Amino acid sequence: MNNLDPSWAWSTYRPEKDGWNRRIAAHLFRRAGFAASSERLDQAIAQQPDQVVHELVHVRSDSEEFRDELSALGNSILATANVKNLPAWWAYRFLTTNDPLLEKTTLFWHGHFATSGDKVTEASLMYKQNNILREHGLGSFHAMVHEISQDPAMLIYLDSITNRKAHPNENFARELMELFCLGEGQYTEEDIRELARCFTGWEIRNDRFRFNRYQHDTGEKSFLGKTGKFSGEEGVDIVLSEPSMGYFIVGKLVNFFVFDEPVPSRELIQPLAEQLHSNGGQIAPIIETILASNLFFSEHAIGRKLRSPVDFSVGFLRALNGSTDLYSLTNGLSELGQTPFFPPNVKGWDGGRTWINSSTLLARANLIRALLDRKETRFNQGSLEAMLDEYQLSSSEQIVDWWEELLLATTLPESVKTQLQEQIENGPGNQEQRLRDALHLFCTLPEFQLA
Amino acid sequence: MSLTRRQFVALTAPAMVAFGSARPHFLANAAEQAKHNKQEKILVVVQMSGGNDGLNTVVPFNNEEYKKARPTLALSESEVLKIDDELGFHPAAKGFNDLLQENQLAVVQGVGYPNPNLSHFESMDIWHTCLRKSDNRPDGWLGRTVDSLQLQSKSDIPALHLGHRKQPYALVSRDYRIPSVKSLQQFRLELQQRESLNEIRNGVTADRPASSSLLNFVQTSTGTAIDVSQKLADVTKSYKTDVTYPETALGTELKTVAQLIDADLSTRIFYVEIEGFDTHSQQADAHAALLRQVGDAISSFTEDLNQHGHGDRVLTMCFSEFGRRVQENASKGTDHGRAAPLFLAGNQVNSGILGKQPSLNDLEQGDLKHHTDFRQVYATILQDWLKTPTDKILNGNFKPLDIIQS
Repeated sequence: MNNLDPSWAWSTYRPEKDGWNRRIAAHLFRRAGFAASSERLDQAIAQQPDQVVHELVHVRSDSEEFRDELSALGNSILATANVKNLPAWWAYRFLTTNDPLLEKTTLFWHGHFATSGDKVTEASLMYKQNNILREHGLGSFHAMVHEISQDPAMLIYLDSITNRKAHPNENFARELMELFCLGEGQYTEEDIRELARCFTGWEIRNDRFRFNRYQHDTGEKSFLGKTGKFSGEEGVDIVLSEPSMGYFIVGKLVNFFVFDEPVPSRELIQPLAEQLHSNGGQIAPIIETILASNLFFSEHAIGRKLRSPVDFSVGFLRALNGSTDLYSLTNGLSELGQTPFFPPNVKGWDGGRTWINSSTLLARANLIRALLDRKETRFNQGSLEAMLDEYQLSSSEQIVDWWEELLLATTLPESVKTQLQEQIENGPGNQEQRLRDALHLFCTLPEFQLA
Repeated sequence: MSLTRRQFVALTAPAMVAFGSARPHFLANAAEQAKHNKQEKILVVVQMSGGNDGLNTVVPFNNEEYKKARPTLALSESEVLKIDDELGFHPAAKGFNDLLQENQLAVVQGVGYPNPNLSHFESMDIWHTCLRKSDNRPDGWLGRTVDSLQLQSKSDIPALHLGHRKQPYALVSRDYRIPSVKSLQQFRLELQQRESLNEIRNGVTADRPASSSLLNFVQTSTGTAIDVSQKLADVTKSYKTDVTYPETALGTELKTVAQLIDADLSTRIFYVEIEGFDTHSQQADAHAALLRQVGDAISSFTEDLNQHGHGDRVLTMCFSEFGRRVQENASKGTDHGRAAPLFLAGNQVNSGILGKQPSLNDLEQGDLKHHTDFRQVYATILQDWLKTPTDKILNGNFKPLDIIQS
């Protein structure tokens, strides 16, 4: 996979006749968002793929009314002053937004600039950080890093609310280079010590950032090949100007949007890495190139990712126009190993194969079962049977094919399709129960774990 | 999805419905479990994530350099639990001290590796795989151990991870999918009575001719999850112990390990974690609490094993990815460092302090230098405890230490 020709890989995908179909469109929406309904797929295939991608990246489709509603809901959560209520707020947004790529990208940055409500128990600070990530998520990486580096939630999370001249705390300087901008191995321990001196005097007081000039080390610092009496802001700029920044960020974006494995080669991502470096950190054009590319629509990408817990659960509901009780959803997410606002550590979620183990697999099956069993769960506002009728899917064969196209990145073995049809036709219980049990069976299949 | 603001707010009320409804009903047929593996040695790994401050765990309380470097964090002779004239345990590490008094604890001083990496994640990966980032790392050292042990049957559970985090890299094996169990109670497939587990198993295991490696991984992992959940459902819940474990996550997990050892599932390796050792600021209270949790949990666990007659066949290793800087920082914490002590608990260890306290006058960029490679500890465990050849597992030849009683 790493021998791919970069110029082919990043060229815009021009589908052959019939190449752009519902199955391929479903792949795009699984990656660029949280899966899409049957109607959305039909809309998409009436356009060209690069048009669809362009709109996902550049057109903000959520109405002002919707955004106001989300803010009002956010404020009502903050009124509870309980950070544990925030995941349900975000889950609601995942489920209902018309800007799925913006939300997906915001989730990416949350995993990148990971900060947890386990330690930052002030809900308002976590919420404020979330807004920073959404505001800049498709904007300027540089602006985002500058804001994050003075963000109270982040500095509290990294034990960096005080930074004094004598023996500065190194933690923020280390994570800024290792996890946020450059990647492990792109700096020395000496660089960390010197960069940490730039951040002396940076403090959080009463949940606000402030600069304490009496504690700032005004002396000369030397790191990453630069020497001068740098301030903290200048320190951030020096880190951002390293060419390795482009490779690190683009590499992570490719693993997030295109394939879990392997880590993309330098050669493959070089054009995008250089673009990000030279365009001042503009994220949207990079993501647009990635999502509209030959590589993205190739066999190297389709089915080459594991569904994250959010993809798994929100995607299940969004594809089937499902709605449910948000708490059973967010509790389920925690069993699956991904509670938004509560990443496991500063490195965020590793993703890929680490999503999968015996406990999380059982929890995935159990979450679908619980969703199917809850009376609050509805499909197209009604029963599964009524929804399938609306789509005029009358035979069990049609139903299984429709699920396969809508919900899976790969095809199922014929024997399994027969087994599912058999379950729909002859399983125990009434028609609705048979359909729900078949859908549960469907979602326990290994193919359903692939994104 | 339509939801009014009022409904939404109602949902955020504190009373939340617990996930799932049915409680598991364990089948109490432990007697049917084969007891053939009673003699096999077992390794329990306790990972202390974040970088434990070794210098404030096994404290050189009289050392002038130590006192100078730790103006707020230094522990004095009167505070520590004295081991000898130079060293003492942190007062909160009473559990460790008790084990040492009862000749059940080996403290290996100055453990690390050459060219130490001070990133949590990279250093942890080095401990887990015995390889560097530039190497190909398809599996972990315990995964390779499992692959090399002569197991009686592929359906055994050769190793098991208990906890809610992702599976440790150390346990990634080529031949097995090592199960991760968050809790025994939740480790089951919830089915409607109408549904059949066999149907689900058949769907999962059906032949997939053109399977990608990712799909194959998911398929085998799902098969293992279903099989292991069946097996664990048969484990007795009637485990009884007189030992009072601390009411901490680690205490609960180690109690479960004791229960699983007693149930004899032929599992040779157990893995648990405790995190929070990354004490960059206000270290004193946080570190004390952590050492108390670890020491108390391991001491209860060891006592429990002895009461159930498993004490002679279980070895517990506690390690962290690195130690911390000798000089404390201005946030009353410590930054990432290098060498640190490692702990091995059990009846069969040569109890005591093994190796010298690394010099505080001869530091490497402000950090303690290691004199014992962590792979020497692994080599000891593999050769003298699990009785399996070490070279392939460790990717090199490392001299074992005199830790296990011969």
